[in-house]
Amino acid sequence: MTIKTSSNNDRHQFGKKSSRIRTASSLAAGAALAAVAKSRRGWSRWAFVLGSGYLVYRGVTARQRPETGAVRVAFTIEKSPEEVFRFLSEPSNWRQALPEFTIDSTADVIRIKLQTPAAILESDAEITDRAEGSFIAWRSLPGALEHRGVVRLRPAAGNRGTELSVAMEYAMPAGAIARGLASLSGHDPEQLVRETLRRIKQLLEAGEIPTTAGQPSGHRGAKGTALRFVFREQPGEIPGEPARLAGD
Amino acid sequence: MKALCWQGKENVRVETVDDPKILNPHDAVIRITRTAICGSDLHLYNGFIPTLEPGDILGHEFMGEVVETGREVSRVKPGDRVVVPFTIACGQCHFCKNQLWSLCDNTNPNAWLAEKFFGFSPSGLFGYSHMTGGYAGGQAQYARVPFVDVGALKVPDGIPDEQVLFLSDIFPTGYMGAENCNIKPGDVVAIWGCGPVGQFAIRSAYMLGAEKVIAIDRFPERLKLARAAKADIINYDEVDDVIDELKWMTGGRGPDACIDAVGMEAHGHGIPAMYDSTKQALKISFDRPLVLRQAIQACRKGGVVSIPGVYGGFVDKIPFGAAMNKGLTMRMGQTHMMRYMQPLLDRVQKGDIDPSFVITHRLSLEEAPLGYKMFRDKEQACIKVVLDPWKEPLAA
Repeated sequence: MTIKTSSNNDRHQFGKKSSRIRTASSLAAGAALAAVAKSRRGWSRWAFVLGSGYLVYRGVTARQRPETGAVRVAFTIEKSPEEVFRFLSEPSNWRQALPEFTIDSTADVIRIKLQTPAAILESDAEITDRAEGSFIAWRSLPGALEHRGVVRLRPAAGNRGTELSVAMEYAMPAGAIARGLASLSGHDPEQLVRETLRRIKQLLEAGEIPTTAGQPSGHRGAKGTALRFVFREQPGEIPGEPARLAGD
Repeated sequence: MKALCWQGKENVRVETVDDPKILNPHDAVIRITRTAICGSDLHLYNGFIPTLEPGDILGHEFMGEVVETGREVSRVKPGDRVVVPFTIACGQCHFCKNQLWSLCDNTNPNAWLAEKFFGFSPSGLFGYSHMTGGYAGGQAQYARVPFVDVGALKVPDGIPDEQVLFLSDIFPTGYMGAENCNIKPGDVVAIWGCGPVGQFAIRSAYMLGAEKVIAIDRFPERLKLARAAKADIINYDEVDDVIDELKWMTGGRGPDACIDAVGMEAHGHGIPAMYDSTKQALKISFDRPLVLRQAIQACRKGGVVSIPGVYGGFVDKIPFGAAMNKGLTMRMGQTHMMRYMQPLLDRVQKGDIDPSFVITHRLSLEEAPLGYKMFRDKEQACIKVVLDPWKEPLAA
C-alpha cells in the first residue's frame, strides 16, 4: 500500500485558524470574569479573579496541548455481516452516513474534510488491514489530526443481525474549551462516531435517515431560534443522491 | 396552512405556517379531516415535558386523506382515507419486526437526546417535543407522515370520521393497557382515571373477559360514563381510602390487575399529593406518581400493574418494597399501535363498539386554545375535544 503524505501547509493551516479562535474565546471569557470580579467583594471576588486568571492562562497555552481520547461505540443492525460489509466498502455510502463531511477516495487514500464553525478539519487516511465481512482497520496519514481504529462486524447471537462496532483512538491539537464547543455543535469525536453508526443502521434497515429538516413550524422567537441550534435537525437525504443500500 | 403551535406554558395558538412537504422517500402528506386533543397533550400545555420549543406544532391524534406520496411509498396512494398512528415506525428494525412498534430504532432524528434521558431512544412520535423527534403534529390542516406504508390504517368510506379517529391513539392505548393485565376469567380490574383512555380501558377489559371493572375518578360526568360501561365506580373525593374500598369490593383479595391511566399529573389529597406538587413546582421532579403508588399498594399479591399513563422523568417514594414482596408484574409502554389498529377497526365495523361515545366537544381548529383549557380544567363536563381543521369558527 502506498503512503501519501499530506502537504505541510495543512498542519499550519489547521493550527493557525482554530487556535486563534480558541485563544480568543478563552481570553474573552477570562476578561469577562475579570470585569465581574471588579464589582464583587470578599471571597467571591477572589473566586472570580482566580477563574479569570485560569481562563487567560488556558487561552494563552491552548495551542500547545493536544487532546487525546478513545471512542468505543457499537450498534446492532438487522442485516448479515456480509451485507453490512458490502455497504461499508463503498465510499459513496459514507456520504449519506457522514453528511457534513466531504470524502474523496482513490484506491489507497481517503481524504476527509469537515467544515466546523471554528475551522476546516482535514485528514487523509488509509486502510491498513481488512478481512471481508469481518473488520476494516484504518489509520490517519501524517497530519495535524491523528486517528486510527478498527471497524468490526460480528454476527449477533440469536439471529439478530450484525454487531457493528468502532474502536478508535485520536489526538487532535485542541484545548478543552474548543472541545466543549465542538460537543455543542455535535462534533465531539464520540458523538460523531455514534451518529455515523446510527445513520448507517438507519440506511441499512429503514432505507432512509429520519429527519424533520424542512417541516413547518410556528413563530420561533428568540428563545426558539436559540434552541434550534441545540436541536439541529439533520437532513434526511442529500439532494440528488438517493440512498444506496447494500446489495444495490 | 393553519396549525396549533406551542408558544409556552399554557400558551397555544393557531398560526399560519408553511404547508408540509415530502422530505423522505417513505413519506406521505395527509390532508387532515379530523384531529383531537389528547390527555398527554395537557402535559405539554402545562409545561411539564422538557425539550419543547416555541413554534412547535402539536397534535398526535389525526386522520384524513392522502394527497401526496414519496417515491418509495407503495401500499398507500393519493385519495386513500387513512388514520395515522401517533407512533412512527420503520417496520424493519428488530423492534418493529417483533411487534414492539413504539420502540422503533430508526424514527427518532434526535435519538441522541432521548438517550441522554432514557439510555436508549424509543420511536419518534408526532407533536411531542424534540426528545421524541420534534415531528410537526396533527392539530393542523395538513401533516407529513413518515413511513406511511408501515403506519397508516386505511379505512373504508361510509364509516364516519368520529368512529375511527380514536384508532390513532386512545382506543389502542386503552386496549393495550387492558391486554397487558393478562385478564383471566373471574378477574377484577381496577382502573384509575376515567378520561378517554380510561374509558376505552374499561370497555376493553370487559371485551377481554374481565368479571368486573372498578373505575376510580372524581368527576361526575366521567364516573357516569364509566357506569354506562357497567363498571363499578369509586369517587375518591367521597371515600376515606381507595385501597380499603378496593379490598372490600374484592372479597378482601384486592384487584387482580390495576391500570394507571393517569400518569405524571396525578391529582390527589393529603401529604403525598402536596409533596409531589411542591417538587414539581420547584422543578425537582417532573412527575407526580400518586396513582402509581396507590395501584402498587392496592394490587393483590401476584397481580399486574399496567401503566399506559405517561411518565417523563423520575418519580419519588414508590413503594417498591410492596411491589417486590407481593410479586407484582408491571407492564408498561407507549402503545404498540400497529398491532391493534386493524383488529380494533374490525371490532368497530362489526358494531362491538362505537368509539365516538367519548366525544363531548366539537370545535374548529381556531377554537383549540379554548379546547385545551376546557379539557385541562374539566369545564363544561368536558371529556374529549375533537377538532375540525377546516371548520369556520362560530362568529363571536
